[in-house]
Amino acid sequence: MNIRQARVEDLAGMQACNLQNLPENYTMKYYLYHALSWPQLSYVAEDHEGRIVGYILAKMEEDVADGDESHGHVTSISVLRSYRRLGLAKRLMVQSQEAMATVYRASYVSLHVRKSNRAALSLYKDTLGFTVKEIEKKYYADGEDAYAMRLSLKHLAR
Amino acid sequence: MPPSGIPAKRALPSKEAALFKELLNLYETRQLKKAQKTADQILKKFPEHGETLCMKGLVLTHMGRREEGLELVKKGVRLDLTSHIVWHVFGLIQKGEKNYEEALKSYTQALKFDKENMNILRDAAHLQTQLRQYDSLVETRHTLLRLRPNLRSNWLGLAVAYHLNGQLGEAKRVLEHYEESLKNIPDYDVEHSEVMLYHVRVLEDLGELSEALSLLDVSAKSRAIIDRVAIMEFRARLLSKSNMNDDAEHTWQALIEQNPDNYSYFKGYLSNRGIDLDNITDETRPKALEVLKSFSSQLPRAAAPRRLALAVATDDEFKELAEPYITSGLQRNIPSLFADIKSLYRDTHKLSVIASIAERHHAELKTQEQPAPDAADAAEPPTTYLWTLYFLAQHHSHIGAHARALELLDEALAHTPTLPELHMLRGRVLKRLGDPYGAARAMDEARVLDLQDRFLNTKCGKYRLRAGMQEEAQDVFGLFTKKDAPSPGADLEDMQSVLFLLEDADAHRRAGNLGMALKRYTAIQKLYTEFEDDQFDFHGYSLRKFNINIYLNMIDWADNLRSQPAYVRAAIAAAQLFVRLHDDPTLASRSSSSSKMSDEEKKAKKKAKKAASKAQEDPKKAAANSNDDKGLDATPPKDDDPDGSKILKADDGLERAAEFLSPLTTLAADNVDAWVAIYDVAVRRKKYLQAVQALNRASALDESHPEIHLRLIHFKKTVSCLPQEPPAPIGPVLSQSTSKLIATDVALDIYNSQYLQKHPGSPRATFAFARALKVLGAPIDEVENTLFGLLHPEANLDVKTALDVLSYLNDISSSRSEEFRTACDSKFDRSTVFKTSEEVVILRKEAVAPPPDVATAVNGDEDKTDVIS
Repeated sequence: MNIRQARVEDLAGMQACNLQNLPENYTMKYYLYHALSWPQLSYVAEDHEGRIVGYILAKMEEDVADGDESHGHVTSISVLRSYRRLGLAKRLMVQSQEAMATVYRASYVSLHVRKSNRAALSLYKDTLGFTVKEIEKKYYADGEDAYAMRLSLKHLAR
Repeated sequence: MPPSGIPAKRALPSKEAALFKELLNLYETRQLKKAQKTADQILKKFPEHGETLCMKGLVLTHMGRREEGLELVKKGVRLDLTSHIVWHVFGLIQKGEKNYEEALKSYTQALKFDKENMNILRDAAHLQTQLRQYDSLVETRHTLLRLRPNLRSNWLGLAVAYHLNGQLGEAKRVLEHYEESLKNIPDYDVEHSEVMLYHVRVLEDLGELSEALSLLDVSAKSRAIIDRVAIMEFRARLLSKSNMNDDAEHTWQALIEQNPDNYSYFKGYLSNRGIDLDNITDETRPKALEVLKSFSSQLPRAAAPRRLALAVATDDEFKELAEPYITSGLQRNIPSLFADIKSLYRDTHKLSVIASIAERHHAELKTQEQPAPDAADAAEPPTTYLWTLYFLAQHHSHIGAHARALELLDEALAHTPTLPELHMLRGRVLKRLGDPYGAARAMDEARVLDLQDRFLNTKCGKYRLRAGMQEEAQDVFGLFTKKDAPSPGADLEDMQSVLFLLEDADAHRRAGNLGMALKRYTAIQKLYTEFEDDQFDFHGYSLRKFNINIYLNMIDWADNLRSQPAYVRAAIAAAQLFVRLHDDPTLASRSSSSSKMSDEEKKAKKKAKKAASKAQEDPKKAAANSNDDKGLDATPPKDDDPDGSKILKADDGLERAAEFLSPLTTLAADNVDAWVAIYDVAVRRKKYLQAVQALNRASALDESHPEIHLRLIHFKKTVSCLPQEPPAPIGPVLSQSTSKLIATDVALDIYNSQYLQKHPGSPRATFAFARALKVLGAPIDEVENTLFGLLHPEANLDVKTALDVLSYLNDISSSRSEEFRTACDSKFDRSTVFKTSEEVVILRKEAVAPPPDVATAVNGDEDKTDVIS
């Protein structure tokens, strides 16, 4: 699969992929907002027919709390079920993190995951090295708690 | 203000003048209630004061009382036509309604009376961009820069305006001035970095490659540009274009090391060596393979060079490379292995090589499987066998051997009944065999094995829609949509699910509920208007953010939005329905929805009614309280056609169809179906020139396309039946272009027969021939006999064409359509689409899988953990 930076023309494919995979969905404007604010941070995986089979939609945190450092945030990442086991999520994540660290000097990246989503949790924890920072009660619209997870990017700084 | 002073009707005594000033301040700080009171105070004494009326109208609009507000604004404008304030307010309201054209007119009026108002100028610039009026945009941006040269974004605004207007050289000049004027740029500044990258892009587009390169290198070195990936991409491309191939190769190499899965980097590397990866020749093949093989060994974890080599290699070399690729994919249990290599099947040699590799694995593993081997000494874990069966089933289904595919799947399912992929594939094979009900059931069986996975859920819902089970589809979709949404479908529409809207529209169409189908297709049309509107805010935002390159890409995207397949499909499908309704107006009453309305629609109708009455109450409530700012954006109007009955009975259907299709003339110009639809609508609107042009474009794409053949005959017939030739210049142009398309010296029925003779064994050609017979007035039994000829074993009839023929027979009220249906039902023995409606009721019931027992559900969940990464 071809892994490359997301272009504006990819956003419809990313939106379709997200709607097929995940319960948290966004309108086109939100995708545009990510792409036009941080064009370096979102990536897609594309098959031979040019179909988007996986994506990472990412941003820089805009409201950095006092004492906190500049950091990136993964708004959404997913890979179509039929394209799993290729390590696409990891490859997408690595490219995005690299850009967060080099372009925006992010010192870490954060994300949220549903408490019940064991598969995703294991991907973030075991494959990508994230750690659970805290539990955010009722983070999701349906009342489910989220793990707020983090990964330091200090090793990528230059 | 004009020096001659304020017009008498605008002048206010000092007390009211002070109040008006306060009113403006209160509005700016959105103290709406106070603002309203202040306006009322002025209006008490001066009820005809235009500016105050407008301000009050604006305030009321912000408070959610749009209609009332708009009335006041219109009145205010009439009372003071030379005030910039009234026009500005009017423009703001129109902009909120997304009526950009009218808004720009108002802003232009406002600027007549206040030429240097920054806010008005800025808004006008955004509107001019949205409307692609680039000449006037340049002017506006010039004025803004002249007024505020120390605002950095004003410089960029002008450069972008020039760029959009095609004046790249001017854009470059502005950037140079801008950069000279900059003082103390902070180190490591993302915004400045983006501006410099934009400057490099302008130079590249101008063809000034060495200037672009040196600006890039200097800026990268001084850390003015900090985006490493962008630096390398620009650099590699610029060096290659400048024929500095050695330097370029290093940079391409660095890019590949940075991201070894990006195909374009490999393409760039090869192209730099004079090899076009998309057009490999016998001369470039060995060189390309050498490069790709060397990258494969340098980068053991990268899949891209291995996969690219498969496309390049031929003969024995292909076999050598395919062997480890397929074997490792099977051993690693990669679900997408077949999808990944499928595109190689265009080469039949590669197809047979891949098939024989997979078959060999199958045979070897099968012997291992059979004698119940000791798990410990088994050479391969049993999962490899499973995924080999899965791969082979996809292979056989792909080449049309569906029965073999099902056998393999049965074997795999006996081995591991809990793997959702196997059920999904079974569903797909059944779908291809024309059994949508069996397919839906298989998808449901997959879904219940992993209830947490929305992907399986979506597939199941989609297959239910394909099986005409719309309510059951909503039931499964609803497991993942928002619980507080009016219905699962409404949430999917809110979330802009093009997939759902299209599939649901098609399902309504197949069920004969044309009103709902049209409603859904037009929902897609609306969605694209929304996407187009979405760009508006970025005309200002991106300049402030300095992300110019991506912003310009967005402008291109917006210009080409309606070339996306979803829009094209929806436009064509809707046009076909409007045409059918035009040709047979009784269809509207026959397919009228009230009798056929499903529970879901009834619910929707009720809800819409409730919402409408609630909306009527709301303004009063809003009026009573609240300083709440509801903004200026008009809320979308309430759905006044919940069951599609209004659009079904619309008397301007053809005009709607023409509007829906019109973007396709430029954005889908290579799509035959689009031109056919454009023809169908144009000829019925008596736009003959447009019709013949559409036929011209279509036949240039595919001369012998059956649908075009039918239209040619239809057109010739239509024109010859006109009471008189249309007046010049249309008439002569028309006959000239018509004779170019279809020879004048051949009678149409002979022309039709010749077409059939030229395309023996093509069921689509026969179908077009038969319909053309009907157009030419042949008796119905001749048409029927021709179509029944398709049932002959040598006619190659496929399920899809058979279905179209059946629905055509129904359309022309053929007395033999039932006979055709029965014949198809026995001819396509695995299909269920030709069953009677009574049989379908049963099939649909069976298509819902029983709930899983707890044990399998748990198993399925475990499966998921190892499938995900």
